[in-house]
Formats: sequence, structure tokens, C-alpha cells
Amino acid sequence: MEQRLANCVQLTVNEKQFIENALLSELRVDGRGPLEYRKLSIKFGKDDGSAEVQLGETRVMSFVSAQLVQPYKDRPNEGTLSIFTEFSPMADPSFEPGRPGESAVELGRIIDRGLRESRAIDTESLCILSAKLVWAIRIDIHILDNAGNLVDAANIAALASLLTFRRPECSLGGEDGQQVVVHPPEVREPLPLILHHLPVAVTFGFFSNENLVVLDPTYHEEAVMTGRMTATLNANGDVCAIQKPGEQGIFQHIIMHCLKLAHVKAGDITAKIKDAVEKHNNERALQKIKRRSSSVSVDVCGTTARLGGKQNQSGGGKDNSHLDQLKPKDEANFMECDATSSGQVQINKKDEGSKNFTGGPSSWYGKKDPYSECVNSDLLKAPMDSEC
Amino acid sequence: MESKLSGSATNLVDQLVYPGDVVLDLSSMTNQTIKLGGGLRQDSDVISVMKAGRLRFSKPNKYWVESSQKRYVPHAEDSVLGIVVDSRSDNFLVDIKGPAIAFLPVLAFEGGTRRNIPKFEVGALLYVRVVKANPGMNPELSCTDASGKAGEFGALKEGYMFECSTGLSRMLLSSPTCPVLDTLGKKLSFEIAVGLNGRVWVNASSPSTTIIVANALINSEPLSGVQQKIMAEKLLQRVQ
Repeated sequence: MEQRLANCVQLTVNEKQFIENALLSELRVDGRGPLEYRKLSIKFGKDDGSAEVQLGETRVMSFVSAQLVQPYKDRPNEGTLSIFTEFSPMADPSFEPGRPGESAVELGRIIDRGLRESRAIDTESLCILSAKLVWAIRIDIHILDNAGNLVDAANIAALASLLTFRRPECSLGGEDGQQVVVHPPEVREPLPLILHHLPVAVTFGFFSNENLVVLDPTYHEEAVMTGRMTATLNANGDVCAIQKPGEQGIFQHIIMHCLKLAHVKAGDITAKIKDAVEKHNNERALQKIKRRSSSVSVDVCGTTARLGGKQNQSGGGKDNSHLDQLKPKDEANFMECDATSSGQVQINKKDEGSKNFTGGPSSWYGKKDPYSECVNSDLLKAPMDSEC
Repeated sequence: MESKLSGSATNLVDQLVYPGDVVLDLSSMTNQTIKLGGGLRQDSDVISVMKAGRLRFSKPNKYWVESSQKRYVPHAEDSVLGIVVDSRSDNFLVDIKGPAIAFLPVLAFEGGTRRNIPKFEVGALLYVRVVKANPGMNPELSCTDASGKAGEFGALKEGYMFECSTGLSRMLLSSPTCPVLDTLGKKLSFEIAVGLNGRVWVNASSPSTTIIVANALINSEPLSGVQQKIMAEKLLQRVQ
């Protein structure tokens, strides 16, 4: 009994009155105007598909993972998307461990509806083998700190993590062409998900005084307000979902006004998410290049040496050529890989300038670059064919 | 090492100490009585620290460790801000941010008798004093000072209450008046009640003043005295 008393949201009568009174003169307790958003910052984890969003003091972490499963029978060509929420008691004492509460279910549903029913994610591209094997995308949302407006923060976190998620590339092989080969990330670059648009949730709070509307309500305002509306829109202003819990009725013109505001906000937030993702992708590309340099450079070295030898052989004797018949295919593959990575290297060079030439393993690129420019894989293939 | 320890007691006062630090060596201070407060304990012949914070010393012989935390551990004679969560026939149940709900006896008011029991709705904000804080028991509160007068204790009307760390509360209560309050008080008129449990109530004639003061106080926590002053002055310039 006492524990329950201690756990519930405690807001004094004074605060309730003050919040409403201050709003009448267009002031909010954290110094914002009624239609201002809190500061948003998006951070990404080391793994692909993990993002942490901080909206004011609210913190939400999201993690995307993928698994190969059998599709639903009525949709044999579509991958699946599911959302799981985790409300930690550390975020708010009113969250109970174990079973998900009402708010946890609602939050998951709002995000799910925004993403799935607006068909933001191209689920058909997640199909590998019709009616047999598709990718099941799972989004785990963890609430780390609750300072109000969890829905918006969680939605942004989900979008950010979806945008940075990479799934392993798959191909069909085997005798009947039905065997699925999942390529590890070292062999083939993992693929991003296809997102058609970004549905952004924007939450409004309504108070007993019908003319009061706030954007992005805080924890305290949530305890005072009588109604809430979450509109999920994309940057084009298409309404993907609307959720309006609470008993209070709202006039039509207020809702239309809110949707217009939400459109503007959705544009802003989309831009912020895209900026953050782009920054992260650039950093990631740089890191990838550095990592590859240590593992692949040895192979690259080997191929160059062998290639050198081969050119001599093609000039010298034809006896050895059949011994090497297996190799050219591999090399062609290697060179294709290199071609892509050298493209990245060139981008890298623009960014980093002469830095590449100073480091130990990364200095390989300085040496390799001119080589891959003059020899491309097509040139290599042609002499091989003529040999055979 | 030994010689260092005997002199270290005075050196460490007002310094940051960490768990395990030895602050006093009892073997070198016979015939003295010392009183230990929170965060210190006696390990046979030495007094060592149990939590991170600043070591404080009060004449003649009191030592304790002061730290800033979000949770409040009730101590007798602390003035705190409590929120009424329920009322029973003989007690109000008051939340003071402690590990257990505190009891405020209905008779613990100035001139309190069975006939004139005050009425507080759930959610009322009270400025109260902790009377008893025994381990394993719910703390007991009172709305009177030690001599039985109401003083400033009682319900707080209107205004805005925010929560902060216990460190900030202590800073706001320190004397001489902390720079941020001093600077704000010269230009703005407002009422303030600071509870040692990390709750601060601010009231002013206009909501904007209340919000400015509340945010200035929240922002001043990590700042030094001079920085606080600069911050408050900048804020005031922007307002006027």
C-alpha cells in the first residue's frame, strides 16, 4: 500500500495550478513556448541498427535485429516487422517490472501503426524465397529515462535505428537454386533496409481549458493534461496515423491546426534524423575502410603478385595456364570487391587528405590506388577468356 | 604513514573523500570524544569513509560526509517539503522523498487538539520538520518548531515546486546566501522555501518570474559562485 503510494506520479496541487496558470500566459515551466520542441539529440551505437535518442531529459534506446523466418501464409512474399517495448523501472518508478503496462502497449502500437500501415518499410524486399524464407525485422525499444513524451522519442529512436540497420546479403545457390546462402558481412557488404518515407510522431497535449495546446509535453505536463493526441506524419505531410487517448473532446479546427503544426515539425525532425544518420554513415564508412585495410590488404597483395606472375605466364608458356584455371574466377571476384572498396577509398581520400599515407596499414591505399585505376576487372576477364 | 594519519584529520576537512579513505586515527587522539554523522564509520582504531562526498567538521567534535544525491535519507531536525498522499484518522501520510512514507500526526500543529484538525487534500504541499527518523520506522514529522510555534511551517499556497538534488538544496540554504539567490533577489521579488530533501518551492506575483527563478536555480547546480552570478545577471538582462 505504502509502496504503491510512493510509486505513483506525485504532483502537488500547487504545480497543477501553476502549470495551467502559466500556460494561460503562454509560458511553460521549462521556459519553452507552448509550441516549441525540446532539444533533440540522436546518438548511434557501435553495432548497426542501434540508436539512442535524447529529447530533453527523456532517453530512449532502440535496437533493430533481423532473423530469417517462414512468412505468414497469406503474405508469402513479405517480410515481417515487429516492435517490442521495454519499460525499465529505472526510467520511472511507476513502471513495474515484468508484464508490459498499458502505456507500454500503447507506445508499441502507435509506433507499429505509423511504420507498418503507412508501408514505410518495403517488406517485399525482405523476401528471399517466396513462402519459405523472409527476413523478420524486430525493433526493441528500451525506455531509459522518462521525462515526458515517450512516444515521440521512441518513434525517432526506431526510425534512426532502422535507417542505420544493415542486414546480411543473401543469395540463392545449390543444385536446385533453392539453397539460401547468407553472406557474412566481411564477404559482402550488408544491405540497408528500404524505407520509402519516415513517419514521425508528434504529440500534443490538451488541457481542461480548451484553448490550451502544448507540443511535446513534459512529464509534469503529462500529469496535468486531460487529453493527448499523437499524429504520425511524414515530411510530405501525409498523415500515417493518429492516436487520441483521453476523454477530452477536441474541436475539429484545433485538430486541423495541430496537423499543420505537426507537418512543420515532422519536416524538422526528419531533417535532423537524416543529418544524424548521414553523419553516422560517413563515420562508419571511414571505420570500415580502416578495418578492412588490415584484413584484406594481405589478399590484395597476393593477387597483385599473382597477377604479375600470370601476365608473364601468358607471354611465356601455355602449359601452366590450365593449372590456374580455378584462380581467375576468384581473382575476378576479388577485383570486384576491390573496385567497390577503392571507390570508397577515393571518397575517404577526399575527406582525410594526406592522412592515409601516414599510417601503417592504411598506407596500402596509397600504393593500391593507381593500380586499381589502371587495371579493372573487365580488362582482366578478357585475356582469361582468350586463354581458355 | 602513521605520522601522516594523525595530522590528516584536519587536512581532509572540506576535501573530497571516497569510500575507504581513513579520516581519523583514534589511537593518536585518546581522551577525546567525537561524534560521527552520515557516511563515516569506525573500523577498530580508525574512522573510515563509506560514501563519496565532502568531509565536514563542526566544532567542537562532529564529523560527517556530505554528498549530493537524488534520494533523501531522513534525519531528525531537517526542514523538508512534503506532499500529502493520504490522510488517516490520526496521521497524514506525507511523501518526503525518503525510502518510506512519513507520518504527520494530526495533532502536530500549533495549538493542535482533537477538535481543530487541519484538512489537507491529497497533493497539498507542506513545509515540515522531521522529528523522528529511526531506522526501520516511518519518519515522524511536525508542523511546529521545537518550541511548539508554527513558525514558517505549514501548507504552502500557490507557487511552483521543483525537485533537485540534496546538494543543490544545501547550497541554497548555505550562509552567506548563495550568489544566485543573492543576485536574483536584488532585482526580482519572490518567495522561496527550500527543503533539505531536494525540493524547492518558489512563488512570485507573476508566473514568468517564478519560471525564471526556478530555472536559474536548477541551472546553477554545477556552477561555481562567480559563474552563478554571471548566469543570473545575464538572465536578468535578457528579461528586462
